[in-house]
Amino acid sequence: MGKTWQRTVAVGLAFVLAVASTFIFASRAGRRARQMHVANEPIREWMSVPFIAHSHHLPASVLFQAIGVHPRQPYDRRSVRHIARDLNRPVPEVMAQIERALDAAAHPPGGHPQ
Amino acid sequence: MNDQLLAAVSLYGAPALFGIVAIAAVGVPLPITLLLIVAGSMISQGAMNLWWAIGAASAGSILGDQAGYAIGRWGGPAVAAKLCALFGKRVSLDAMEAKVKTWGGSGIFITRWLLSPLGPWINLASGTAGYPWPRFLFWDALGEIVGAALFLFLGRFFSDRVMSLYAVLGDLTWAIAALLAAVVFGNVLLTRLRRARQVRQETVR
Repeated sequence: MGKTWQRTVAVGLAFVLAVASTFIFASRAGRRARQMHVANEPIREWMSVPFIAHSHHLPASVLFQAIGVHPRQPYDRRSVRHIARDLNRPVPEVMAQIERALDAAAHPPGGHPQ
Repeated sequence: MNDQLLAAVSLYGAPALFGIVAIAAVGVPLPITLLLIVAGSMISQGAMNLWWAIGAASAGSILGDQAGYAIGRWGGPAVAAKLCALFGKRVSLDAMEAKVKTWGGSGIFITRWLLSPLGPWINLASGTAGYPWPRFLFWDALGEIVGAALFLFLGRFFSDRVMSLYAVLGDLTWAIAALLAAVVFGNVLLTRLRRARQVRQETVR
């Protein structure tokens, strides 16, 4: 009898934990969904320059210019890591240049942010 | 590793997508949802063709799923258990087989896209349980095409918000998994409480 009750309590606790997790994850998903259009989209090493430019509503040429690269094709598919390797430069340095260019485009001196 | 795969899809497009989803369908844990969303965003930017992407992602997944089914069917439970251990999954194939028998086609369909982490194990269990292959192929193909189209269209629609969308989908998946667990535990709890009440009433009599 004692063991049966112990098991029932364990199942009850698991049920409460599952219900709580449902609410926690659902509310977090809702909060993230509401912030989707205002939150800054992070940049990653695997992203291509046109991909980053598209995420920040900028022409890719602005970012290519910032890192001093001529795109190989109209849509240069190389990742930031790939470009850094081609340029023989550290990836964080190229990423930092892109971030500065994005920041400059978002907050132009004496102008309205894009 | 994940970064390299994402960069490969960006660089090589649909053929890379095909290869990666096929490997993931056998059970290798790879970020397929993110890959499909990224591909969807690339479609929106004109860097990939929508129909090629849907075709490559569906065909790759179906091929990988069929390989998983074949391993379960002709390799038997021992080989399937070895494959589970290889990818560090402590999955009970018996439990999965029971799910295949209970849920049937709808279980196969839903684990292609909504509960996709269970997909590879359901493939193996469908094989070991001797689930009819034509029916497995039908539900598998239907689920994979729906899943690929869904995530590609989501990526296409939210093409400038790929990472944010991926975070939302991750939380939603956990919420759905927790909800399913709550339903299962709630059911078990109710059954136990009813049984306990019956025992108490019989003791009083």
